[in-house]
Amino acid sequence: MPSRKKDEPGFSRRTFLKTVGAGGVAAGVLGPAQTADAQGARAVGPGAVPIQLNINGRVHKLEVEPRVTLLDALRTRLDITGVKRVCDRGACGACTMIVDGKTAYSCSMLAIEAQGKTIRTVEGLVQGTVLHPVQEAFCDRDGLMCGFCTPGFVVAAAALLEQNPKPTIEQARKALDGNICRCGTYPRVLEAALNTGGRRA
Amino acid sequence: MPERQQPPAQPAPPQATTARWPAAADRVHIGKPIERLDGPDKAAGRAKYSYDIIRPGMLYGRLLNSPHPHARVRSIDLSAAEKLPGVRTALALKDPSKPETARVRYQGEEVAAVAATTEEIAGDAVRLIKVDYEVLPHLATVEQAMRPEAPQVFEKGNVTPPSLNEEGDVEAALKGSAHVVEGLYSTQVQTHTSLETHGGICEWNGDQLTAWVSTQAVHGTREGTARALGIPQSNVRVITQYMGGGFGSKLGGDLWTVICARLAKAANAPVKLMLDRKEEHLVTGNRPSAYARVRAAVDAQGKLTAIDAETWGTGGAGQGARFPMPYQVYVFPVRRQRHRDVYINAGPQRAFRAPGHPQSCFVTEIVMDELAERLRLDPLELRLRNLPPEADNAQWGRYFKMGAERIGWSKRHPTGDPVSGPIKRGLGCAANRWSGQGVPRSRAECEIMPDGSVVTRVGTQDIGTGTRTLVAIVTAETLGLPIEGVRAEIGDTNYPWAPGSGGSVTAPSVASIVRVAADAARQQLFAKVAPTLNVADPTTLVARDGRVHVQGDPSKGVTWREACKLLGTEPINAPATWQQGLSSIGTSGVQFADVEVDIETGVTRVRRIVCVQDCGMILDKLTAESQCYGGIIMGLGFALFEHRILDRNTAQMVNPNMEWYLVPGMSDVPEIDVTLVDQPERGVVGIGEPPVISTAAAVGNAVANAIGVRVRSLPLTPDAVLNAIERERAGGTL
Repeated sequence: MPSRKKDEPGFSRRTFLKTVGAGGVAAGVLGPAQTADAQGARAVGPGAVPIQLNINGRVHKLEVEPRVTLLDALRTRLDITGVKRVCDRGACGACTMIVDGKTAYSCSMLAIEAQGKTIRTVEGLVQGTVLHPVQEAFCDRDGLMCGFCTPGFVVAAAALLEQNPKPTIEQARKALDGNICRCGTYPRVLEAALNTGGRRA
Repeated sequence: MPERQQPPAQPAPPQATTARWPAAADRVHIGKPIERLDGPDKAAGRAKYSYDIIRPGMLYGRLLNSPHPHARVRSIDLSAAEKLPGVRTALALKDPSKPETARVRYQGEEVAAVAATTEEIAGDAVRLIKVDYEVLPHLATVEQAMRPEAPQVFEKGNVTPPSLNEEGDVEAALKGSAHVVEGLYSTQVQTHTSLETHGGICEWNGDQLTAWVSTQAVHGTREGTARALGIPQSNVRVITQYMGGGFGSKLGGDLWTVICARLAKAANAPVKLMLDRKEEHLVTGNRPSAYARVRAAVDAQGKLTAIDAETWGTGGAGQGARFPMPYQVYVFPVRRQRHRDVYINAGPQRAFRAPGHPQSCFVTEIVMDELAERLRLDPLELRLRNLPPEADNAQWGRYFKMGAERIGWSKRHPTGDPVSGPIKRGLGCAANRWSGQGVPRSRAECEIMPDGSVVTRVGTQDIGTGTRTLVAIVTAETLGLPIEGVRAEIGDTNYPWAPGSGGSVTAPSVASIVRVAADAARQQLFAKVAPTLNVADPTTLVARDGRVHVQGDPSKGVTWREACKLLGTEPINAPATWQQGLSSIGTSGVQFADVEVDIETGVTRVRRIVCVQDCGMILDKLTAESQCYGGIIMGLGFALFEHRILDRNTAQMVNPNMEWYLVPGMSDVPEIDVTLVDQPERGVVGIGEPPVISTAAAVGNAVANAIGVRVRSLPLTPDAVLNAIERERAGGTL
């Protein structure tokens, strides 16, 4: 986990919560420089403001109140609903997106803060109708049951493999520790992350 | 699932033919590891859960919940909320003019609701509602409620009179026994913590209501919603294509669906009302707490003689907390249970995966280990000496031996790991049982189209267990088609009735009735095909590998498509009614735990769980194993982490979130070794509940084996472990 002190720029209750709430896992913690940019922006709101979001390679124009989270902007304004809201405070990972190459809890980031960033969601991993190898592996290994946590896990696993194509068990476990599943799919999620690209024997 | 959910058994109506499962050697799909049909949609984020559905012109609902655990609502002023731009309607849910309905009995109870154009505005509106409460005395803990001087908060009293269950003369049997152990045991309140919260979307079209609800029971939700709204059931359609977990908490018509329907009616627009995480913890149910003061005895030969249990627990405001004592695996010839329900001002309990069993299993299995210790006997040996006669659904003896082998039981040290250093290792075990039988009222239909396509419809729902997939597996197996050659349509009250998905009844109900429907459709097709093959008796035909042919002679036949073409323009539509014999009742299973405990920090880490479990005939090896993993991991949460904590003064839940209400995460999960015992001759038995039952008990026994000290309560948190060690060091006087 990137260490950060309370008085550094970009510290907020939400980032604090997601840092401690994630059980010490890096998923969702943005670097200081990134959040400093967002805080340096001029004051907007409280009414709806026009924003642009670059999501899965497409620019979406929308109007949201500054208080709307990135997650809610996608779910309720753009009908991009693969990402889920579960805990709504950075403790469960169901809303995980890849923002500028790093996993982020989108429930804990404002939509206006996400302007100018490259945002990727579970939907963006699919090429046309072809599933991403990680998505294939989740199906193949039964790394999903009710499926509500699955998009967050898939995104976290895909982000891990982009940075580290051959993770050890411990590295994979750590990278996926910021996501909660209630059905108990963990053993097979781990298998899927470790065996992406290879079919079950 | 509670007993009231179980419809009474009815005699099966006479059948033209009797469906059977194919012989094990003939099975193409059944019992193989088959991927979920809806896996790709879930993994791609395309699956639309109730939470994801957006209807044209849809509004967002929000609730105002009582902050007080016990109060009377004196007045509700909605005017400021109604004036807020974007608010379309607001409803008072308590009527201050009627003293009884104006009461709230637990934190989070619903007081008012709004619908607005955005979620954010709905949230603002709720904050503008002014409610005047007369705060009343409340009960935050079981201990408070049981004090003689406690305020009488509930009409039926705070504590129910004891209900007695007795077999034999307990006092005499205890007196005559070689060893007696006595102790107070307890388990905590656990919340379901389904990831998709309760709620849904309601949309009216005239007097017709369509509701997309996160439920384990589409038909049950229709029934309950129609009754509450006072409209015919035929005017209500409930749809649940995907749902994000329920674990027993979503088994019927919920108040939130009714409120949502009323908001939608008042606003004349579709409304989505989903609870937030805090509400989910507070009001949607939980596993009741359990307390047991036990005296149990054994003779010098290691035969159990008697058990006496005084039990109580709370299911919250006005709800029961029953659990059986002893757990009905081991034979106590003489037994007595006196149980009282205790009411406190907290959210009411609901069925939670194997209601009563994990509590009962924990207490009984810990007592078994304590008896073995008194006898200086291997606790596994004590168990083996006290099992009921072996039966198909009672194979604990065999499974204990299998599990012992896998966990390395022969290397188990007597209680208290003798190694120096703070990390102590230990082993423990426990057994489970569950009924998991099919529900005789289940219905399904199978349609074969003239172009060869096939659809099976059944009004069940897939709650993450793989029900959609098993409908396809059984249909494809029966018709000799690949899985992709059939469609499974579920999750809609427009389809034939099937039971709510609770009590592990879904697989035995649905697989059996789908087999009957597909078999009936197949018979009709065979009757069409027989004349073209010059076969006099259609029952000599088989459907296999995409062909319909004479049994034993694949060359004398036609392809599936050719066969279906003979239907002309008219599809086959075969309804099915229940047949006995495709499912049966009862599972048995055991679990072993290998743990290490740091006696300096009190932290328990589970290294390995071994599970041996039967579930009759296995339908899908892949999803059946996932069910075991899932149960065990939820059981680990019950063993180590999960605890609904109420402030003892204010009765407010202090952890209504997911950072302080801890469910297991990836790093908490040990190696899990699952052996599924296939019993193809028994037909289908449900496996939803059994794997969750014994994990906490096995872990509890393993912790005691590691540290040499008993922790008689759950969860086994570091402070509980350290307290137990301290108490032991102080000679039991702390």
